[in-house]
Amino acid sequence: MLDQLGNGLLLGIIISVASVALSLLYGVTRIVNFAHGEVIALGAIATLFFSSPVDYRVLFLDKFSPLGINFALSCLLAVLLCGLFGGLLELILFRPLRKGNVGNIAVLVVTIGLSIFIRHLYLLFATGRVQNFPLELERRQTYLFFDMTPRNLKVLIAGIFVMILIGLLLTYTKLGKAMRAVRDSEELSSISGINSDNIILITWISSSMLAGLAGVFQAIINDVRWNMGFLILLLIFAGTVLGGIGTSFGAMVGGFIIGILVQVSVGLPFMEGHTEAKNAVALAIMIVILLFRPQGIFGQKERIS
Amino acid sequence: MNSSIISKRVIFTIAITSLSIYLVFLLNPEGALRILINLLTFAGIYGLSAIGLNIHFGWTGLLNFGHASFMGMGAYVTLLLMPHAAGREGEVTTTGLPIIVAVFLGIAAAALFGLLLGLPAIRLRGDYLAIVTIAAAEIFRLVVRDLESLTGGVYGIISYTENLQKFRPEFINNLSLNYEFAPSQAWVGIIAWISIFLTLILLKRLNNSPWGRALRAVREDEDAVRAMGKNAVWLKLQSFMLGAGIAGLSGVLLAFNYGSLETTVFVPLLTFYVWAIMILGGVGSLTGPIFGSIIFWVIISETDRLAYIFFENANGQQLAGFRFLLVGLLIMLLMIFRPSGLLGKKEELLLDVK
Amino acid sequence: MSNNLLEVKNLKKSFGGIQAVDIKELIFNKNELTSIIGPNGAGKTTFFDLISGFQTADSGDVFLNGGDITNSQPYKIARMGMIRTFQLTKVFDRMTVLENLMFSGSSVKNDSLTKSIFKTRKQKNYERDLKDKSFEVMEELNISHMANSYARELSGGQKKLLELARSIINNPDTLLLDEPLAGVNPKLAEDLLDLIQKLASGGISILMVEHNIEAVMKISERIVVLSEGTLIADGTPSKIRNDKNVIEAYLGKDDE
Repeated sequence: MLDQLGNGLLLGIIISVASVALSLLYGVTRIVNFAHGEVIALGAIATLFFSSPVDYRVLFLDKFSPLGINFALSCLLAVLLCGLFGGLLELILFRPLRKGNVGNIAVLVVTIGLSIFIRHLYLLFATGRVQNFPLELERRQTYLFFDMTPRNLKVLIAGIFVMILIGLLLTYTKLGKAMRAVRDSEELSSISGINSDNIILITWISSSMLAGLAGVFQAIINDVRWNMGFLILLLIFAGTVLGGIGTSFGAMVGGFIIGILVQVSVGLPFMEGHTEAKNAVALAIMIVILLFRPQGIFGQKERIS
Repeated sequence: MNSSIISKRVIFTIAITSLSIYLVFLLNPEGALRILINLLTFAGIYGLSAIGLNIHFGWTGLLNFGHASFMGMGAYVTLLLMPHAAGREGEVTTTGLPIIVAVFLGIAAAALFGLLLGLPAIRLRGDYLAIVTIAAAEIFRLVVRDLESLTGGVYGIISYTENLQKFRPEFINNLSLNYEFAPSQAWVGIIAWISIFLTLILLKRLNNSPWGRALRAVREDEDAVRAMGKNAVWLKLQSFMLGAGIAGLSGVLLAFNYGSLETTVFVPLLTFYVWAIMILGGVGSLTGPIFGSIIFWVIISETDRLAYIFFENANGQQLAGFRFLLVGLLIMLLMIFRPSGLLGKKEELLLDVK
Repeated sequence: MSNNLLEVKNLKKSFGGIQAVDIKELIFNKNELTSIIGPNGAGKTTFFDLISGFQTADSGDVFLNGGDITNSQPYKIARMGMIRTFQLTKVFDRMTVLENLMFSGSSVKNDSLTKSIFKTRKQKNYERDLKDKSFEVMEELNISHMANSYARELSGGQKKLLELARSIINNPDTLLLDEPLAGVNPKLAEDLLDLIQKLASGGISILMVEHNIEAVMKISERIVVLSEGTLIADGTPSKIRNDKNVIEAYLGKDDE
C-alpha cells in the first residue's frame, strides 16, 4: 500500500487544485460546472500545443504545427489561456443565462451539454492518441517515505505552494473577502458596494486558471488525453463533497484525501486484479458522505435536501 | 386551455418528424429501407428509455444522470438468466428461464436498483442527486467490468439473440427477402415500438389516477403534501423505480439490437443521448420522447456524412466523436433557447434546483 | 391518558446563536380555539414548525394526544390528525382546484401505485365519492365555481380558501392555521373568521397564529403570547388585552 503513497500524493495535488477551482466557482456562482473537466484538459492540451516541437504532428488532423515554445513559458501561457477561456464563458454564456433568470437545473444541463461539446472538439483537435509533453523521462527517487520522479516532486511542491497562496489570498485580501461576501449573499454584497458581476467574472477567470494549472500538473505527471477532464471530473466532485462544498479549504483537503485514497486503495486485498476499480472506491466514499454528512468535513450545514 | 396552440405544436412536431423520415429516403437512394429500419429500431429503444427518464425528470423533477446503469441492469440480468455465452472463453450456459420471465426479472432488477439508489439519494438536493447518480452509474460500470466470471467482463456476453429471434414471425422473413433489410433487427424494432405503445397506455392511465395526482402534487409542493399526511419521499421513490424499470426494458432491447453485450454500451454517453432526446421531445410530455427520438436519430445518422466532408484526415474515432459534438451542442442550444422542446409545456418545467 | 391535546415541554430551538424558541411548558386543550400572537420575530411560525415536524428541535418534547411526536416526520404527525396550513399559501399551482382537493381527500391507501394501475370498480366508486366530497367542501367555502381552474389562477384570498378547504376535507381533529388572514381583504377575512369559528364549534381543535389582533380577540377562547421565543402571557382575550407584559412587548417592538 505504501508504495502507492507517492502516486497518491501526486493524484492528490491534482485533484486538490482542481477541487479548489471548482469549489471557488460553485461558492460564488452556485453552478455545478460539469464543463470544469474540459478547462482542465485545455490547460494540458494548450501546453502540448505551445511546447511541442514545430512540425510535430499532434494536433488538428495534422493541419496545425505546434509552436515549440519553451516548456515553462508554455505552461504559463496555457494557464493564462484557460483564464481567458473562463472569462469568455462567463461573458458570453453564463452571464446572459444568469441575467435571463434561467433556473439552476437548466444551467447545470447546459454545462453538461457544453462539456460534451468541448470534449469532442478536443477529440477532433487533439486526436484520440495519448500524448506526452516534450520532456525527458526521469527515474523515480525515494524521498522520505514515498517515491516519485524529481520533476513530479517539483510539481507537488509547486501545487502545495499555490494552495497556500490561494488560501492566503482568499482570507486576507479585499478581493478574497469580496468573493466570500458574494458567495454568502449576492444581494447583500451588492448593497455594500461590491459589484457582483465583476467578482463573478474574476472568479471564473481565476477558477479557470487554477483548473488549467491542474491540467498541466496532470499532464506532466501522467499524459494528455482528449477526455482527461471527464475521467477526473468525478474524482473532483468526490474531493469537493468530502471536503465540503463551497469551502475552498475543504476542497483542498478533500481533494488531497481522495487522491491518496484512490491510489492507496490499489493495495487493498480485495482490489487485486481490479485496479481500475480504484475510482469506484472514491466514488463510493463520496456517496456515503452525501448520505451521512452531506456538508462534508468543513462545510456548513446548508439545506441539502 | 389553448387547444389551438397545442394542436399547432403537435402538427409541427408530426410534420418535422415526417420530414426527417423523408430526408432519410432522400439522402439514401439505395438501401433506404434498411437504414430506416435501423434508425427506427434505435429510435424506438432510446425513445422508450427517454420515456422512463421523463418520469424521473418531467413528472418528478429528479436529476438522474445515471440512466444508462438502469438500462444496463435490465440488460445484464435478463441476458444472464437465459441461455448465452460469456467471458473470454465464451463459456456457454445452455439453461435458462423463458424469455418472458427473464425480461420481467430484468425489469424488476432495474426497478430494485432504482430503489437502492433512490433510498439514500432522493432526499438530496437536485445537483447533489445528479452527482450521485453519475457516480453510481460509474460504479456499476466498473463493477460489471470486473465481475468477469459473472458478466463476461470486457469480453462481454454473446449468443443470446436466438432467445428472442426464435419467436420472429414468418412474414418478417418474407418481407426481408423482397425489401432488403435485416429481419432480426426489424423484429427487435417491432417489439420496441409495441413496448412503447403499452408503456404509454400505462402511463396515461397513471397520470389521471390518484397516484399520478399525488406525484404531481409532490412536484408542486412537497411540504404541503407532507402536511396532508402523505409520504412525499416514498412517492418519489416509486416514480424513480417506475422510470428505472422502463429503462431496464429498453436496455434489454438495446442488447438484443446489438447482438453482443459489452461494457462499452452502458456508459455516460448513452445517458446523455437519452437526455438530449428527452429534452428535444419535450420534458413532461408523454409522447414527446418518441418524436424526439426519431428526429434525433435522423440527425445523428445523417450528419455522420457531414463529418466526412468537413474533416478529411479524421480517423474513425474522431468521426464518431463528431456525433457527440452535435449531441452536446443540441443539449446546450435546447436548454438555452427552447427548454420545452417539441411537445413540452414551458410552465411544466422545473428548472430550479429543489 | 391525558385529556390534553398538545403538550410542549422545554422546547428549544436556536439559529446561529439566536434563541428562536424557548418554552418551558405549554399545554393546549381539546376542542378549544387558541390563538398564538406576538410581535414579529417572536418565534410563532418556528413554534408551529417544531410541533408539526417541519423543523427539528434542539431539545425538548412534544406530545400529541399523549403520544410523543417530538421530531417526528411531518406526514406522520398529519396522519395522527393534526393538519397545518402555511403562511405563504402552498396550493398546487399547476393542478386544478378540484384536483387539489381530490388529492387531499384521497386516502394514502387509495393513492397506491398498484391500485392506480389496476383500477377496480371499488376504486371508481371511491373516486366518485371523493369528487362529491370535494364539491361539498368547495361549496361550503364558496369556491366551487373555480373547480376546474388551475390553482395559480386564483386570487390571494381564494388561495387561502383553497388551502383551508384542503385542510378540512378529511375532518382533522386538529388544525394549525398559520396566519390564515394574512393579506386578505376585510370582507373575506370576516368570512374566513366565521368559517374558523364554525369549524371550532364543530369540534375541531384549532391553534391559530395571527397578527390581526382584532380578529384574534373576537373569536379566540384562549390567547397565548410569545415574545422573542418565550411565553409571556396566556389567558382569555380580556385578560391578555390588559396584560402589561403583552402591551410592552408590542410597543417595545414598534419603537424599533
